[in-house]
Amino acid sequence: MIKTELCDLLDITYPILQGGMAWVADASLAAAVSNGGGLGIIGAMNANVEWLEVQVARLRSQTSKPFGVNVMLLSPFADEVARAVVQLGVPVVTTGAGTPLKYMKDWLDAGIKVLPVVPSVAVAKMVAKRGATAVIAEGGESGGHVGDLTTMVLTPQICDAVSIPVLAAGGIADGRGMAAALMLGAVGVQMGTRFLVAYECQVHPNYKKRVIQAQDIDTIATGRRLGHPIRSLKSPFSMEYANLEYDSAISNEELEAKGSGALRIAVMEGDEKRGCFMAGQCAALVHKEQPASEIIREVCEEAEILLKRACQWIN
Amino acid sequence: MNTFDKVVALIAERRDLDTSTMKPETTFDDLKLDSLDKAELVMTLEETFGITIDTAEQMKTIGDVVALVEQS
Repeated sequence: MIKTELCDLLDITYPILQGGMAWVADASLAAAVSNGGGLGIIGAMNANVEWLEVQVARLRSQTSKPFGVNVMLLSPFADEVARAVVQLGVPVVTTGAGTPLKYMKDWLDAGIKVLPVVPSVAVAKMVAKRGATAVIAEGGESGGHVGDLTTMVLTPQICDAVSIPVLAAGGIADGRGMAAALMLGAVGVQMGTRFLVAYECQVHPNYKKRVIQAQDIDTIATGRRLGHPIRSLKSPFSMEYANLEYDSAISNEELEAKGSGALRIAVMEGDEKRGCFMAGQCAALVHKEQPASEIIREVCEEAEILLKRACQWIN
Repeated sequence: MNTFDKVVALIAERRDLDTSTMKPETTFDDLKLDSLDKAELVMTLEETFGITIDTAEQMKTIGDVVALVEQS
């Protein structure tokens, strides 16, 4: 069985975190992942504290295992959510879309384990210096907000730069990805796309169908013009958006407005024409719906077989 | 070398930028430097000057950077 220092650090059985995907990572999915031995994470996205309180209460009614909340730093409610995670006694916080410097001291003082998602070596060093528990090195293969660097090159560089544990994210959907991540120096992985098709994930069936049917070339990163690109499955919406990016007659404000609400439409309505189906490049490696616990076990068992077999290359 | 000159030298070094055009009011946008470049600069400043900068989001211009370094 694969066990790393991350398991002791977060009091989990398997070194797998579930990504804090906006509109996707709710109490249902997070509780299932935590019950399956990983760390389930509620994505606080742009939601207010009332929403988060309901989700945390719902999760706690389904599991007594540790869990986390992802604080999306661009959220208009980021300040309130940052205070709420302390009040709610959330054991682990991950962050995305920025650096959480102004919140870190309060969280760490409250005993919260803080794991920022980082897109570069400098950001990793910055949060490590301020006491982060671990960092999640996320490559641009991932879904949702993406950076330029790939998991393959980012992870080992961050492992070299910081002395705290490093997790890898982006492009990891099976045991091969997990084994590779461990060889790059990570002590665990965060997966999003694979959990999109967990039974307990409440997204619209069309969303799951599109992830399962996706092939290697079926994702696109849009929004580079606005400075915060996101990766999603190619769809009438995302392809039109990609075209609008090159249209100088469209202002940045119009472009921003065009994307607003499109993820919610994909998750809630499954509407192919108007929805933005965020997913990572590894959607092509995701083939079927399964319980979250089975996904976690399968990924770890595959990785274990591969890592044991790796010695065959050594004479 | 005063703080302004030191900051300009650090910024210019990373991307081979022309220091003669850099003024206190020059913005990161003018220099085509993004948030990751800014994070890189913050860590370089912290290591160079032995300081900690927790308000990097307020840095819009070279003048802002100089002020933050001098206050730290």
